[in-house]
Amino acid sequence: MSTAPDSLAQLLQSAAAMQESGRAVLKTMLGMGEIEVGTSEKRCVYSEDKIRLYRYAPLARSAGLKPLLICYAMVNRPYLLDLQPDRSFIRELLHAGLDVYLLDWGYPDGADRFLGFDEYVDGYLRRCVEFVLKEHVIDSLTLLGVCQGGTMSLCYAALHPMQIAQLITMVTPVDFKTPENLLSKWAQHIDVGLLTQSGNVSGDFLNLIYLSLMPFRLTQQKYVNLLQMQGDRVQLENFMRMEKWIFDSPDQPATAFREFIQWFFQENRLIRDELTLAGKPLRLKNITAPVLNIFASKDHLVPPSASIPLGAHIGSKDYQALEIDAGHIGLYVGGKTRKTVPAAVMAWLKKRS
Amino acid sequence: MSAPGASIGAHPFSAGFLKAWVDQAGAFQELLARLADQSSAGLHPSMPPPHLAPWKDFVDGLGMGSFNPSEMFPGAPALGLSREYQETARRLVELSRQFQQRYTEFAQQNATVMQDAFHVMKKRVDARLPPKSPAELYDAWIDCAEDAYHQAAHSDSFARLLADLCNISSAMKVERGKLTEQLARHLDLPSRAEVDSLHRQVRALTAALRRPAPAVRTPRKRAKK
Repeated sequence: MSTAPDSLAQLLQSAAAMQESGRAVLKTMLGMGEIEVGTSEKRCVYSEDKIRLYRYAPLARSAGLKPLLICYAMVNRPYLLDLQPDRSFIRELLHAGLDVYLLDWGYPDGADRFLGFDEYVDGYLRRCVEFVLKEHVIDSLTLLGVCQGGTMSLCYAALHPMQIAQLITMVTPVDFKTPENLLSKWAQHIDVGLLTQSGNVSGDFLNLIYLSLMPFRLTQQKYVNLLQMQGDRVQLENFMRMEKWIFDSPDQPATAFREFIQWFFQENRLIRDELTLAGKPLRLKNITAPVLNIFASKDHLVPPSASIPLGAHIGSKDYQALEIDAGHIGLYVGGKTRKTVPAAVMAWLKKRS
Repeated sequence: MSAPGASIGAHPFSAGFLKAWVDQAGAFQELLARLADQSSAGLHPSMPPPHLAPWKDFVDGLGMGSFNPSEMFPGAPALGLSREYQETARRLVELSRQFQQRYTEFAQQNATVMQDAFHVMKKRVDARLPPKSPAELYDAWIDCAEDAYHQAAHSDSFARLLADLCNISSAMKVERGKLTEQLARHLDLPSRAEVDSLHRQVRALTAALRRPAPAVRTPRKRAKK
């Protein structure tokens, strides 16, 4: 960089401006108060242990489609899908007339450490599906799985194909051993039996791993960029909502986590047709319902190469892959995608109603 | 924290163990500070790692300071009344040593990443127009640092190093858990093992309740002869 006097003057000017921005950011943050998330109206219709099944209040006339059950990941909180009124994947679906249910896994504790992965899929998830079917007096529903919840939804659809009318997977890993998958590379040598021997795996530990995927951007640049917001309250509140979500990570039940890492990440059993759940062999070919597979081209957690192979492994003849120009999270809250993705889901569902 | 062992100081094991825990938290901070200062020989192989000191005090408190077979005869089995504690303490010491070694390698690998990032940054700045503002310079640096890190993070050696650190930490947690179990027994508190066994019983009962009840068979009355 040039150190000529005019450049130096420019630098000092920039530094002074940054200092002023920092002061404005701090001032706004100090007066911000409590951050609200997940504000769409909903009520708990079924609960069991730590899990809750919510049904959202309608916001529009029914589109006449089957109810949609969202199965979110266990590693994060599901309110990402309803972060704030103008950034809500769920609200968009409600506005389009869909009847939306959400399965919230809650915050597992020591009492859940011996629950196996099959008990989450063929236990809690199954009972939630059965509740919705009974409530609507129908034989099948639409299941939408997000990230790890997508993998769980695939497992469920393969075990109970008759209960699934349509399946939507979003940023869902299917092939866990592709070269771009950094999380998977790191997971290969971890003794997950030893890791879970002393109980549940803390959310903080998982967050540390996620931050380590892009440490400079996620632990430094992100916060430095706050200065560009110039103390804009709306922008800062959006930032804080996301910040809350990122670090609001439940501990993972030891047994289910060990099985998930071993069976999926280390042994890639799902696409190798080697997975047995609840004593039953699980075959993706059993999935015959229409499938919409949405993945994000800039996803650093579940790279597209981990999601794309799904079409080749299921038995469905009606399969559509949809690539979105976004990251793992931006898919739901990004400027354009927060409208276009729910619209694409609705169009796909209506075509198959 | 103020003298955590004070309330239970009557028992030398409890007091020593708690003190070791508290001291270790501070010692880890010291370890990290020394790792950051490797150039000034902060980590000399002959120096005991700072996070071992609390455990050494704990072992000394058990009366093993003057007679420690493992120190006198490396590899010799632990002996005497405190044999089991010696075994655990020895494993903890060994795990701490392994952790320190691997963490040093990890820190060195990160230092290499930073060096690579600086080289790339210099090349970029030389090849293009110099950044116009501190913000532009900073963003360019982050790009270079992430690129260099990305290269390293995808290597097998990085994955193995990270896994080793994780595995050693897990093993230390298991060993510390054993000592905590002992402490809980000394204080007549419910131990993790007891709670686990209760959870298993509850789980088995819940599963039994969910199973459909077998059809009740009514015994047929024997026909009178």
